Amino acid sequence: MIFRIFRKELLDTLRDRRTLMTMLVIPILVFPITLNVFVEISKSYEESASKETMKIGIVGDKNQYYTAQLQQIPESVGPKKIRVFQDSAALRKALDQDQIQLGLLVPTQAAIQRKNQTPVNLSWLLDASEVGRSERSELYSSYFKAKAEFQRLHELGLSPDQIKPLSIQTINCASEKKMVGQIAGGFLPYIFIAFGFIGCMYPAIDLFTGEKERGTIETLLTVPVSRWKILMGKMLVVVCSGMVAATCALLGLFVSIEFLDLADNKELLEVIHSILTPYFILSMFALLLPLVIFFAGLMIPIAIYAKSFKEAQSIITPLNILVVLPAMVGFFPGIALDFQTVFIPVVNVVLATKALIAGTLSWAYFLAVFALMCTLALLAISLSYRQFGKESNILN
Amino acid sequence: MIKATQLRKEFPLSRQQRKELNTTDTIATAVADISFDCQPGQIFSLLGPNGAGKTTTLRMLATLIKPTSGQIEINGIDAIQHPQEARKHIGFLTGSTGLYARLTPIEIIDYYADLYQVQSKQREERKKYLFDLLNMHDFLHKRIGKLSTGMKQKVSICRTMIHDPSVVIFDEPTSGLDVITAENIIKLIRDCKDQGKTVIFSSHIMSEVDLLCDELAIVHRGQLKFLDSMITFRERMKANNLTEEFIRIVQAPITTP
Repeated sequence: MIFRIFRKELLDTLRDRRTLMTMLVIPILVFPITLNVFVEISKSYEESASKETMKIGIVGDKNQYYTAQLQQIPESVGPKKIRVFQDSAALRKALDQDQIQLGLLVPTQAAIQRKNQTPVNLSWLLDASEVGRSERSELYSSYFKAKAEFQRLHELGLSPDQIKPLSIQTINCASEKKMVGQIAGGFLPYIFIAFGFIGCMYPAIDLFTGEKERGTIETLLTVPVSRWKILMGKMLVVVCSGMVAATCALLGLFVSIEFLDLADNKELLEVIHSILTPYFILSMFALLLPLVIFFAGLMIPIAIYAKSFKEAQSIITPLNILVVLPAMVGFFPGIALDFQTVFIPVVNVVLATKALIAGTLSWAYFLAVFALMCTLALLAISLSYRQFGKESNILN
Repeated sequence: MIKATQLRKEFPLSRQQRKELNTTDTIATAVADISFDCQPGQIFSLLGPNGAGKTTTLRMLATLIKPTSGQIEINGIDAIQHPQEARKHIGFLTGSTGLYARLTPIEIIDYYADLYQVQSKQREERKKYLFDLLNMHDFLHKRIGKLSTGMKQKVSICRTMIHDPSVVIFDEPTSGLDVITAENIIKLIRDCKDQGKTVIFSSHIMSEVDLLCDELAIVHRGQLKFLDSMITFRERMKANNLTEEFIRIVQAPITTP
């Protein structure tokens, strides 16, 4: 009978456009679209910035030493026009009016400093809030530095190795998998949790509050089927919806990385492929399932209590923040699964998934998180059952 | 048959409700120790003004809510101890009954037939009988959301009767319906009586009660003010017409034994 109720509720849910949007369409499309748009926009900004002709103003370069160097820099770095200013005030004014994009201040004693082999302090003036200006100034600076260093070493009769008496290397012993887990591991559980929650939300409201609003609850509760079976049939749909939404979001992310050329680093792609093993996917779902049941168990009592769709939505939406905030813990470095964090719901799943990606999750911690989440899921089901049994809640 | 004995229902009052009702009582008595029997082949009517306790009484009979005290028997089954068993015999229809807008009539009827565990052969017979009777064939595969009020009401009736219940409970079934749709309901209630079913229905419209019922109970503020046959009601009538008599009875001071 539970399955019959589940079948009917699923059919009803799948015909609801709002639920379909949150369960399938948005999770599948959100990452391909947003990542693609983001990458395309940043690419086009970078391209336009590199093609932009930079008007560079120079002050204090008496013998045009740096002006000549600037002119020697190849056009491939980016087109440029050079304009000489008499004083820094005029240069700053031109910069403010965007007549020039970069200003170079050369100290008046630059020639003497070079002769005396003391450092010359050049200064760039620029509006750092504008895209590409800092990058272009850094490129020019690196040319100046390389040229000056080469010249100084030549004057001193030294080779570059002679001024490097010590070379220190840092060798990263962590596997690439672990590095990916550390850097990107916080992102994956965040997606899973956020979409798992959103996926549960509309079906929970529709199947419980909606049933009250439509006036169908009275007839449903007069059929010879126990209330826990009715609750289970409905809850299964809510949980399925959450799982489908989370899976679709991950699928969308995978498609974005794999087919939309968003991660053109082959080594990174290989690492991602090595992470996505059946063992990993099964373990992740094992962690996610009790979490989604827990979410459903939190939302259903609210949906049962609420008298209207609006009321249910207004209570459940802030709950979303309570869930999403702890899910962000994965983004912070240094927080790992330990004896304390293993007991914090949501946080424990995030950290366990992160460790799972890195391949550092121990069986003891995995089982501890799984057991705790299953216990919470059972408590949430029991809470839902208690609320579903209350006369004051089921009849408006 | 239905047998209600000393049926009582109390609801706790929240602080907000106490404020609204201007009372210090923490409990509201919706139904106060009422007893009656409904026999098969008879139409029993619960008549009373709004808020009299009719819906609460019928909800208790339909096992939707549990009485605070008292007993209910449905075809000899203790409906409080064994609600699921009792529900197999009950068909429940209200004027405000809703339907699943995204499903079709046939999907809803099949769903309820499954929930009532109606065997496939009997189901097909019942479906054919009800679809013919209610002339539903033209809209069986259209979504409920696209049907007219009258069509929806036919689906509701079909859903209520799919398991061929021997006890049918109607809570203000014609409330808010147009004349033609209301007429369908009245016809159904008569059909149920002719088929020997136990029928109980609530109303606040005297003319409707006069048209249909054999036995009458008038309730007011949760208490029974009259319980006898319709014939006796007419015989004892002191007012000029049935509606005035109903008002007279309702407004009479409560006599405490």
